[in-house]
Amino acid sequence: MTDWNAMTDAEFRKEVRQFFEAEYPEELRHLPHRPKFAEIEHWHRKLHAKGWVAPAWPAEFGGMGLNAAKLLIFYEEQQRWGVNRGRDMGVQMVGPLIIKFGTQEQKDYWLPRILSCEDIWCQGYSEPGAGSDLANLRTRAEIDGDDFVINGQKIWTTMAHDATHIFMLVRTDPDAPKKQQGISFLLAPMDQPGVEVRTITTLSGETEFCEVFFDNARTSRENLVGELNKGWTMAKALLSFERIFIGSPSLAQNALGQLESFARGRGAFDDPVFRDRFAQAALDVEDHAALYARFADQLKRGETLGADVSMLKIWVTECFQRITELMIEAAGPDGGSIGPLQVGNVSVDVLASFYKARPTTIYGGSNEIQRNILSKAVLGLPG
Amino acid sequence: MTQTDILSSEQEDLRLLRESVRTLFERAGGSDRARQLRDAGGGFDPEMVRELAEAGVFGVAVPEDQGGLGMGLAAGGVIAEEVGRVIAPEPVVSTIGLSLGLLRRLCPDHPKMAQLIGGEISLAVAWQERGPDGAPADATCRYADGKLTGGKAWVVGAIGSHGFLVVAEQDDGPVLVLAEADAQGLVIDKRTQADGSSLGELSFSGTPAAELASSGAVLTALAEAVADATALAAAELVGLSERAFEITLDYIKTREQFDKPIGSFQVIQHRAVDLNVMCEVAQAGVREALAQMDSETDPKVRAPIASRAKARAVTAAKKITRDAIQLHGAVGYTDEFDIGLYLNRALVLSAWLGDDAYHRRIWFEAREAEGAAQ
Ligand SMILES: Cc1cc2nc3c(=O)[nH]c(=O)nc-3n(C[C@H](O)[C@H](O)[C@H](O)COP(=O)(O)OP(=O)(O)OC[C@H]3O[C@@H](n4cnc5c(N)ncnc54)[C@H](O)[C@@H]3O)c2cc1C
Repeated sequence: MTDWNAMTDAEFRKEVRQFFEAEYPEELRHLPHRPKFAEIEHWHRKLHAKGWVAPAWPAEFGGMGLNAAKLLIFYEEQQRWGVNRGRDMGVQMVGPLIIKFGTQEQKDYWLPRILSCEDIWCQGYSEPGAGSDLANLRTRAEIDGDDFVINGQKIWTTMAHDATHIFMLVRTDPDAPKKQQGISFLLAPMDQPGVEVRTITTLSGETEFCEVFFDNARTSRENLVGELNKGWTMAKALLSFERIFIGSPSLAQNALGQLESFARGRGAFDDPVFRDRFAQAALDVEDHAALYARFADQLKRGETLGADVSMLKIWVTECFQRITELMIEAAGPDGGSIGPLQVGNVSVDVLASFYKARPTTIYGGSNEIQRNILSKAVLGLPG
Repeated sequence: MTQTDILSSEQEDLRLLRESVRTLFERAGGSDRARQLRDAGGGFDPEMVRELAEAGVFGVAVPEDQGGLGMGLAAGGVIAEEVGRVIAPEPVVSTIGLSLGLLRRLCPDHPKMAQLIGGEISLAVAWQERGPDGAPADATCRYADGKLTGGKAWVVGAIGSHGFLVVAEQDDGPVLVLAEADAQGLVIDKRTQADGSSLGELSFSGTPAAELASSGAVLTALAEAVADATALAAAELVGLSERAFEITLDYIKTREQFDKPIGSFQVIQHRAVDLNVMCEVAQAGVREALAQMDSETDPKVRAPIASRAKARAVTAAKKITRDAIQLHGAVGYTDEFDIGLYLNRALVLSAWLGDDAYHRRIWFEAREAEGAAQ
């Protein structure tokens, strides 16, 4: 087993870069949409064989065990080459939760299946009445013998139509004195009569998210992760991890690279105003990366992250949006056209990037909610 | 009549025009109609074109002695705002501004004028060309011996039009010709846009076309028509922005999170106020610009006024539609909610005839040139 962390950053970067450049299928580079598993399966196989599916997981669970600095390099290289993240909700979200709170049996059973993508996960948190106010969720799970019986509805469940399992927050004690109490964290199979998935079309015509209806769906009591009625605290414990991931420079860096080649090809850099705005965006990305590194170092020293990590997400998502808006500007009269635009030997799907950037300020805790958190928890403002 | 009487009676005309166009669109189904047409393949409804013609829409800015209403661009702007409110896909602005804008200046007696005003046909105007790097380039499309060779890009309304008004070069200078939609050697490459409409990339290989006008007057008329269409597109964006704002305002009043309407959070309230101010500024600026264009004849003065209008309208529409999505949360990102249709239409109208950055540059350059001339 290689100790990646023992390598110098430069050595490690070289190793990762070489692997991506040699092995990643050309036709999957910079995919403008979220792929179904079948589309990226052959790539996932290679990654799995190499042991690189879960760069952040400890080596004992089959991960690469990368420290924060190495992880950053890994993601940077992934974005640089336009390597698709794959169906990573298992790796990014449910895996770390099982590692932290799961029983030995749960770890032994679920983690290898996440790595092999035998199980493909989707995240069932949001409901029609529970978006920003997630604790308002109503989907019920009641104990019935060895099972939980689930009734209710989830919504905005990304790629649920191509998932085998859902990890979800459900209400297990409707009489708890506070909304945040009485919520539990459950794993459930999707392939059963009580689960119905309907896709929702996005404003760009993609079907990336779904509604999931539960009508007496069942899951084994063994699929409760952590303690009953303690799901909220656990989900929150994961949030700071999620927020540094969602606040990573990668999406913006990748978009900046695309903007640069597109703008150069289209001659947009002849305009000094455009040059200034490009420079602004590029420096926004660079300085964000510096701030990101500060948080990453904190993780590296084994410290837990505070609420201030929210600033990463605010900055990078809004920066990502501005970059894609500049792409549209550089596209001139093609700025309303869908599909890839050719410049020289590169092709850039300007509107796909624009659409991808829009919801980043909505999901993962909207930027308004992040600002609320910062103003109270970090600045100590009253209210 | 006193000056104020004239002013208010003009405004009364515009108010009546606005009402009749709004009623027409509402009766036809409002923005639902736009969605249906998009889902049916992204065209427009020829029957609607005829109804609009009956209401006098296409001839609104054509002088009365040429068969129009002679109400000017300000009235055209009223219509365009209403088109924007229901994101109607019919080629209203491109007909008032471009095709009729060209014909009435170059060949007002041509029979196509009456057909356009009557809504019997639509004609797409083709003048821009794409260079090797994909960006706009100098024109090279040739007209000789009654035939066109070369290509044109970004042709709005190319699909469903009865023919093309093509600006080309012949030996002794520019020429405006008419090519029929089914003309021999004409190939139309269709590019779909965010709102489901398409742009045509035309290529001609010995395509027969009839000469309508020639000499330097063609380019002057083209610049004038483009300025008109630019200002009208700005008005369309104003109407679109207003409606997008109204939809959003309704939403934040009704959507509840944390046991209250999200519109009760101060940050959302301030956001809504900013969008409303942005909308009002855009409406005032664009309406004033259109009125100024009506009273001004010098093309060198009219062009930067149109740029002023488009720059403002694009900035406002971008901000308003994008913030509208944010304020809707995830539902704003769905196709099911109308707000996405407004975002998509704004993308298309912003890119058409130059975005805000482009028009600010044009406006500034014109201002500098004027300063130098004085
Ligand atoms: C592309 C996409 C993918 C998603 N994938 C998933 C998924 O896989 N699984 C899942 O569970 N969920 C998913 N979501 C849902 C996402 O988590 C929610 O959209 C998010 O929590 C916001 O909730 P909402 O959409 O209901 O908006 P709302 O909460 O209704 O918010 C609407 C607007 O009000 C603002 N607002 C709300 N409360 C406040 C406040 N107190 N102060 C100031 N402003 C406020 C919000 O910021 C937003 O601008 C996804 C969403 C999107 C867009």
